[in-house]
Amino acid sequence: MTGISALGLHLPRLRLARSSMAAAMDWLSPRAPARGARTLAFWDEDPISMGVAAARASLVQAPQARAAIGALTFATTTPVFAEPQNASLVHAALRLPERAATQDTSGTLRCGLAALHTALENSRPALVVAADCPTSPAGSLAEWRYGDGAAAALVNQGPALLAYRGGASLTAPFIERYRAADRPFATDWEERWVREDGFLDFVPRAIAAALAEAGLTAADIHHLVLPCVIPGCAKAVAQAAGLGHARLADDLGAECGDTGAAHGLMMLTHALEDMQPGERVVVAQFGQGATALVLEATDAIRGYSTGARAALAAGIPETNYLKLPLFRGQLAWERGLRGRLPVNEALTTAYRQAGALLGFVGGRCVETGRVQFPASRLPVTEAGLHRAPQGPWPQEPPVQEPWPLADLGGTVATATADRLAFSRHPPNCYGLVDLPGGGRLMMDFTDPDAADLAPGDPVRFVFRVKDLDERTGYRRYFWKAVADRPQPAPAA
Amino acid sequence: MATGIKDKVAILAMGCSRFGERWDVGQEELMVEAYLEALGHAGIDPGMIEAAWYSSHYDDIGAGKAGTPMAQALRLPAIGVTRVENFCAGGTEAFRGAVYAVASGAVDMALAVGVEKLKDTGFAGLPPASRGTFAPMYLPTHTNPGNFAQLARAYGARHGIAPHDLKRAMAHTSMKSHANAVTNKNAHLRKAITMEQALNAPMVADPLGLFDCCPVSDGAACAIVTTPDIARSLGANAPVLVKAIQLVTSNGWEVQQSDWNGAYVHTARIAAHRAYAEAGIGDPRAALSLAELHDCFSVTELVTLEDIGLADEGTAWKRMLDGAFDADGALPCQVDGGLKCFGHPVGASGLRMLYECWLQLTGQAGARQLGAPSLALTHNLGGAPAQNVCSITILGAD
Repeated sequence: MTGISALGLHLPRLRLARSSMAAAMDWLSPRAPARGARTLAFWDEDPISMGVAAARASLVQAPQARAAIGALTFATTTPVFAEPQNASLVHAALRLPERAATQDTSGTLRCGLAALHTALENSRPALVVAADCPTSPAGSLAEWRYGDGAAAALVNQGPALLAYRGGASLTAPFIERYRAADRPFATDWEERWVREDGFLDFVPRAIAAALAEAGLTAADIHHLVLPCVIPGCAKAVAQAAGLGHARLADDLGAECGDTGAAHGLMMLTHALEDMQPGERVVVAQFGQGATALVLEATDAIRGYSTGARAALAAGIPETNYLKLPLFRGQLAWERGLRGRLPVNEALTTAYRQAGALLGFVGGRCVETGRVQFPASRLPVTEAGLHRAPQGPWPQEPPVQEPWPLADLGGTVATATADRLAFSRHPPNCYGLVDLPGGGRLMMDFTDPDAADLAPGDPVRFVFRVKDLDERTGYRRYFWKAVADRPQPAPAA
Repeated sequence: MATGIKDKVAILAMGCSRFGERWDVGQEELMVEAYLEALGHAGIDPGMIEAAWYSSHYDDIGAGKAGTPMAQALRLPAIGVTRVENFCAGGTEAFRGAVYAVASGAVDMALAVGVEKLKDTGFAGLPPASRGTFAPMYLPTHTNPGNFAQLARAYGARHGIAPHDLKRAMAHTSMKSHANAVTNKNAHLRKAITMEQALNAPMVADPLGLFDCCPVSDGAACAIVTTPDIARSLGANAPVLVKAIQLVTSNGWEVQQSDWNGAYVHTARIAAHRAYAEAGIGDPRAALSLAELHDCFSVTELVTLEDIGLADEGTAWKRMLDGAFDADGALPCQVDGGLKCFGHPVGASGLRMLYECWLQLTGQAGARQLGAPSLALTHNLGGAPAQNVCSITILGAD
């Protein structure tokens, strides 16, 4: 029996108030009422970085599972790269085993849940990561409804949080929305058609098929998770599926928006906090058919923290609508000479140093225990007047063992908020960060509150976009420091 | 056993172009301007110059690579020209090459030239320098104001200096240099400023405001060096002699290990210690008549004063406010305006500092002449506090 043994999610800190979106755009597209906010990926967040964050949030609950993962699927409708494989970067950032098979899946908002279905039907321990940064035209309803985010699920044989009882996926050429590979925005067709002929046809049938696979009936179900941006549609589907009695999971529309390919997993992760052991949940998602999965909560969910409420509570209100089109590259903006410099790709260097750059692996001297980043053949030592002579060097200097730093965190040693350096969100904040074991490195600070970091502050490390070159579309990633403040207490 | 450089080489003559936004000239004319002045002082046939060192930092967007830009601009007499680059310390590096060549006995006379033509780059502040392929993949996009702002914050925290006090001390540092440059016809910025102007200037990288930062300038400076005997034979009764040159380069310890506290410059302390030993100076505060420090930022000057032993640790900011380093203070610093006001054409700055010391030691500094100084120090820093090249040179009247 397979099941989900860990869940995690990531929400960008910025929460763009819909009232601000309305203030900017309702002269063109009046929308009322302007309630709540949607998540907005910071300039250095994209589906890959958010997917890594969600996967890390799940793996932190299952630290032993990493080495056994045999498959990684990365699901997104907004892939960063057509080539290379996006999953290979997620794999590297998570330091998963080389033998883990990786794949990207895309093309429908259902791709994340479909990947989870596939993983649950297979015996190999697998990580399913779903992330999306939906891009919509300025002033559109989609821009209003969708948000940015990622979620991840770890699938295993044996004990689980949520035991898999059965599932079904239906496929049909129901095309209510399309976006050619070379186009930035999707075209959506009339919602009443999508609701009546799409959701209300496919989802109840998928749920019925899943229940049949599970040997259960609708009466055995306690919770329904169904992302749908059409108002009232999820409730109508529940009725049609005989699940009117089940608790309909919060769609997080008020504080997050629909996170596309991630949203089925996102809502499930959030809903887990309201489940009791023994309760069963149907998770369904629509798109060129539908997928429905039946899962049963086990005793393991007692005391399990998904971090969902904390992530929702950690938002930073944003009232400047223009950050959305600017961060998405939809609006040309004055960046100055410093912002026009090309990114030197040096793909050879990037591969040679992939462990350091993507995995954030430094070195630790096996003799002295001193940590350093990046690792080097000759360990760094102080040279100064007050140091005793070192004596002749051994023919072979002491070896540095690989030393993963991503999960260690550090302490700010020096900090600056630089208004001269180019930044997509000035000032550019950076400084020296001390690592456990005596190492340090100069690194970027990120997130909208980066300028608050001061010497002595504890930080944790996040995987983010380091540089991007709009001319070539190339982007690369590295790790940055964010404040490691105590997480806000989950709401009671 | 090495005996050091003391008294083995003399400065025959120096020259320096006008620094500033030299829209009127390119790097060739800047070099020629400095070179002709030096030749005029030296009174020699250019054919006597046997080797040359050339400092320029921004090769790709400035003068170009290799020694040819200088050999061609100055129409040098078919001699070897070595291009050197050591961040903002390149000017001293060119001087060191020329001095070592003479000291070795390989040549009798050598030339060092530093030049930078920054105002053809379009940048406010220094353009980003190339850092190879790997470093940019993990290092932040940083600027020098950002790097030295970290020094300011760490220095203030280390010594418990109230931010307001540090800001005032930094403001005085810049005020003093502005006042000094007013009479310097070659200086980039020749306007006095008030404490209020400095304190209220726009922030560049907290706590460094606009007046805490030196300008980006075009300019060139050069030195002709020879043996003391030849200098005397050419008419210099008391030639300026090189007493010490020390250069220390970070090996990565400060930026990779957490032992360094960020509140001082490690290389400067070592270079100064070695330079005083090389020059035979026991008490630099008593011995030195003036200092030209690498005041790329006001805080750099404050921290350097402590690093090189001209103020006790944690006290330079107070002594600066007391006027100890003003032109009429106990130890005048940046009497020509320093990087702050003479300007900072990267590859030329080390030689510009030496030029001022040479003028002062030979009594040629005109309106800003400090009596009869006997010993002068230059401190030329390239890079960031956490990773840099630091050189200290000491010159003395014979």
